[in-house]
Amino acid sequence: MKQRDLKILPAHLLIMLAWRNLWRHRRRTLITLSSIAIGFGLAVLFIGLGDGSHNSMIRNAIKLGEGHVTVQPNDYLIAPANHKFITHGKSIANELGKLEIQGQVNPRISLEVLASTANNSVGTALEGVANADDRRFAVLRQDLIQGDGDIFRMERGVLIGEKLAKKLKAKIGSKIVIMAGKQGGDSQSQLARVAGVFQSGLNEIDSYVIVSNLQFARQFLIGEGGAEELEPVTRYAVFLDDPDSVTEWVDLLNTTFGKNNISVLDWQQMMPQLVQFIAIDDAGNYVFLVLILIMVVIGIINTVLMSVLERTKEFGLLRALGVNRTYLLLLVFCETLFLSMLSVFCGWIAGGSIHWWFSHYGIDFSELMSTEMAGTHMDSIIYTELSLDRVIQLTCIILAATLITGIYPAIKAARVTPVEALHT
Amino acid sequence: MALLTLKNIGKRYEQGGMALWALKDVNLTINEGDFAALVGPSGSGKTTLLNIIGGLDSPSEGSVHLNNINITELSESELSNFRLMQLGFVFQSYNLVPVLSALENVELVMVLRGFPGKQRRERATHYLRMVGLENAMQRKPSALSGGQQQRVAVARALASGPKLVLADEPTANLDSENATALLDIMYNLSQEEKTTFIFSTHDVRVMERARRIIRLQDGRIVHDEQKEFSPKAHA
Repeated sequence: MKQRDLKILPAHLLIMLAWRNLWRHRRRTLITLSSIAIGFGLAVLFIGLGDGSHNSMIRNAIKLGEGHVTVQPNDYLIAPANHKFITHGKSIANELGKLEIQGQVNPRISLEVLASTANNSVGTALEGVANADDRRFAVLRQDLIQGDGDIFRMERGVLIGEKLAKKLKAKIGSKIVIMAGKQGGDSQSQLARVAGVFQSGLNEIDSYVIVSNLQFARQFLIGEGGAEELEPVTRYAVFLDDPDSVTEWVDLLNTTFGKNNISVLDWQQMMPQLVQFIAIDDAGNYVFLVLILIMVVIGIINTVLMSVLERTKEFGLLRALGVNRTYLLLLVFCETLFLSMLSVFCGWIAGGSIHWWFSHYGIDFSELMSTEMAGTHMDSIIYTELSLDRVIQLTCIILAATLITGIYPAIKAARVTPVEALHT
Repeated sequence: MALLTLKNIGKRYEQGGMALWALKDVNLTINEGDFAALVGPSGSGKTTLLNIIGGLDSPSEGSVHLNNINITELSESELSNFRLMQLGFVFQSYNLVPVLSALENVELVMVLRGFPGKQRRERATHYLRMVGLENAMQRKPSALSGGQQQRVAVARALASGPKLVLADEPTANLDSENATALLDIMYNLSQEEKTTFIFSTHDVRVMERARRIIRLQDGRIVHDEQKEFSPKAHA
């Protein structure tokens, strides 16, 4: 007897039968597809909002923080101290200049200081910035509520947050004595004058940060033994035009500076609390995604299993005519595959439309919740964001889940015995 | 010449710890070109015997030889292949795949057997014409009457040129007119195609047209009668 090989079983028949079987109960298939599309659309919306809010937080944190990549003394991150600084800032700046970084490099000085007025004394952080192009300065200047904030024209001018101003009872033009501890127990102080008061909306910044020009802050480093001609700084904050190139630049900068008692850190190492917050929030989103997935899987298993159970006689007939078990298994699996592909397609039409709308018009959360989170803030209007990775990830998850779902009905169909099936 | 030989076929079912014999000591030889009817009351073992001949069920004892192949020794996949290559089936009901048209249903077995597209289309059209359905080839089963559906099943059973066609009560759900028409079609085709037919039936109209009557009772063959061709019966 001629034996037929599975490989030459007619694929066109399989595809035709599977496709027609899918539309046998048009209404049921359409209801399943609609429910999956809605679920998928919701998943796209929530993931897009999650990614949008996280990216907004990251962008703001990087702008107000220390850039995508930070070059600073080796042990500064673990134990920051005023006497830890890059003594030879000028040569580091030259090296950075040679690397032709696509972006912006901001030299900065950070110091733990005590700010005093006649009314009060408050422990604060003094942040020295080089010029008006400094990203942090540019952001805070936009948030000015008093004064012109021109700390580069006023030699001793500083910006302070509105909460700090309240504590110090300081206003524009007020004198502030800024005192910093020195290694060995001594202290040094400088007189500053308030040139602007900002309101960033971030408690940590508004009540804790004083911003001065670099030269003013550098006087404290010189007091710690730094040589003015070497242009000492606490760090260089590197802002990259392409945020996806962080790893490459960290590697290159490590190769360049790694041996000089200098650390090169990416923003994730600099802001572990933000990374942790996003990870926890992502976990919540994944739980939601799993719930959507369960809904999709139940929808598909219901449709396919019902379709298999009500076709027991038909499978029995096909088996009687000489169709083997593998072919029936492939037939049902093919039906599941079509349903999955259609589901993903409809899901992306629904999800894509929802994403398009909210990526253009956003959702305003300012009335609903505080926009300050994990030491940074997200924009009050969140626009959904979807990366290609997310698109691939969602598609693969839904396809994989639905195909796995199809295994049981397919096995059930393949197990049909013609005698029993034809007499049910 | 013997096409099918059944040797000491027995089929036992266990029910409540007791053995029930649906078939016992069945010995039978079917010759090429036979138009034979398995008759007997309900529960006599007609369908069980047809299922065993068709490799849809396995006997508890004995052997079935078709074309010198002992089908009781075949594996499940070999049996599938055997049914595909050697047999045609007409069942009492649910004969057709609902999502395929009449033409596609007739082509189905030929597609599985790997007939070239042109050849199977020509054969399917030819057999549908022979059963009088040339105007209903593109209709789905739901748009066909019960009699028309059975005729499509007959066309499918014959189109791939099987050695043996097994029909399990093919007229049970048909009215008198449709049953007579279907039987005439099957008889004429068996004569033209030299195909062997075995029916299970308790329909007297089928018995009248059968060339051989094999009567079963309580799982045993109690009567086996070869009839002379009766033109009157086929008038």
